[in-house]
Amino acid sequence: MAIAPNAWEFICDLEVDFGSEENASIVYATIAVDKELQPDKVKRQMSVSDGKLSVHFEAVEARFLRASYSAFVDVLILATKTIEEFGKGMEL
Amino acid sequence: MKKMIALGFEGSANKIGVGVVTLDGTILSNPRHTYITPPGHGFLPRETAQHHLQHVLPLIKAALKTAEITPDDIDCLCYTKGPGMGAPLQVSAIVVRVLSQLWKKPIVAVNHCVAHIEMGRIVTGADDPVVLYVSGGNTQVIAYSEGRYRIFGETIDIAVGNCLDRFARVLTLSNDPSPGYNIEQLAKKGEQFIDLPYVVKGMDVSFSGILSFIEATAEEKLKNNECTPADLCYSLQETLFAMLVEITERAMAHCDTKDVLIVGGVGCNERLQEMMRIMCSERGGKLFATDDRYCIDNGAMIAYTGLLAYAHGASTPLEESTFTQRFRTDEVEAIWRIKEESSKVNGVEDASG
Repeated sequence: MAIAPNAWEFICDLEVDFGSEENASIVYATIAVDKELQPDKVKRQMSVSDGKLSVHFEAVEARFLRASYSAFVDVLILATKTIEEFGKGMEL
Repeated sequence: MKKMIALGFEGSANKIGVGVVTLDGTILSNPRHTYITPPGHGFLPRETAQHHLQHVLPLIKAALKTAEITPDDIDCLCYTKGPGMGAPLQVSAIVVRVLSQLWKKPIVAVNHCVAHIEMGRIVTGADDPVVLYVSGGNTQVIAYSEGRYRIFGETIDIAVGNCLDRFARVLTLSNDPSPGYNIEQLAKKGEQFIDLPYVVKGMDVSFSGILSFIEATAEEKLKNNECTPADLCYSLQETLFAMLVEITERAMAHCDTKDVLIVGGVGCNERLQEMMRIMCSERGGKLFATDDRYCIDNGAMIAYTGLLAYAHGASTPLEESTFTQRFRTDEVEAIWRIKEESSKVNGVEDASG
C-alpha cells in the first residue's frame, strides 16, 4: 500500500491471474455491474489483460478502503468459485 | 414442444434458495438453506451474506440434480433484484451474472413481493384476489389493477413479522425453524388476553409502538407473575392479526373482491389464516393460503415469476442486473397479467358471439 500526497491517499492494488482471458473477462463483467456505494469516498478501477484482472482502489480514509476491499474480495471469490464449479467440464 | 424451464435464486433475507420450475408452475426442485441465529439474536446483513456465500453453490448442484436437468435445458436465470438486505441480495446477483456468461443464458430480474404473489396464485389457483403479503420485512395489502400490483395499505414502520421476531427475542425463544413459528406454538397455550394498543390508520397499520409497549409490559408482568409468556404471545398475535384482517377487509370492499390470498412467511401462521377465513366466509368469499413450502422465501417463486416475464418477452441485460434494497411492488409492470386479462375479455366476447 502506497501513500500519495492528495485527498485520495489510501491506495491498494490487486492482481488476480485467472490464466484465461475468458474467465477474467467474466469476473470483470460480473463485478463491474455493482458500482462503489460511496464514490465520494472510495474509487475502484478494473481492467483485464493477459488473463489477469487488475484492480486499483483509492480511498479518502483507511476504513473505507478496508470495507470496500474486503467486500470486493468476498465477491471475487464467489465469482471465481462459481466458474470453477459450473464452467467448462462441470460435473453434476 | 419442450417446456420452458427457469432456474431461480432467492437470497434477500436469511434464506438462500435455488429453484427449478416450468412455465405451468410445476416445481422440479426447490432446495433452500436458512441462516438461524442463536435465541435472542436477529440476523445481520454481513453475517447473512457469508451464510449465503457458503451455501449457494451446493444448492445449485442439488437443484439441478433433483430436477434431473442440465444447464442446456434452462431457458432463463432469474434472481431477486429486491427489496431486501443489500449484501445478501448481492450473492444471488453475482452467481446469476457468472452463470449467464458461462452458460449463455438470459437473466431476468424479479421483484421479491411480486414473486410471492405469483407463487401464491399458481399454487392455490386464486385468480384475482386481494393479497395480504406478510413477512419479516414486508406488510402490504395488494390488489391487481391496470397492469400493476397496487399497494392499498401497508405498514408505516416495521413489518408484522419483524414485530413478532423481535418479541421472540425478548422471550429468548428459539429461532429454529423460525421465531414466528415458536410464538405461534406458545400462543396456543395462552389463556388470558392482555390489552395492547391497536394501531390502524386508514388503510395502513403501525407495529413499532405495539412492540415497545409489549416489550415494557412483558418485563413488568412476567416479573410480578401477572401473566405467562404464552398469554403475551397469544395477545400479541390476536391484536396484530385483527389489524391485518381489518385493512384486508377494507381493501376487499374497495376493490369489490371476495377472495383473499395470504403470502409471505407470516402467512404460514394458522391463527392468521383462521381469522382471515372467518372474515372471508362472512363476505361470501374464500381464503387462499399455502403452507411453509411456498409461503417462506424460496427459489422456485423467483424462477416462476421470472419465467412468466421471460415468456412475455422481458429479460434483463447483464449490465442492468443490479440489486436494490428498496423496490416497491407497484414499480413492476406485470406484463403477463395484462395478456391474461385481455385473453379473458376476448374469451367472453367469443362466448357471447
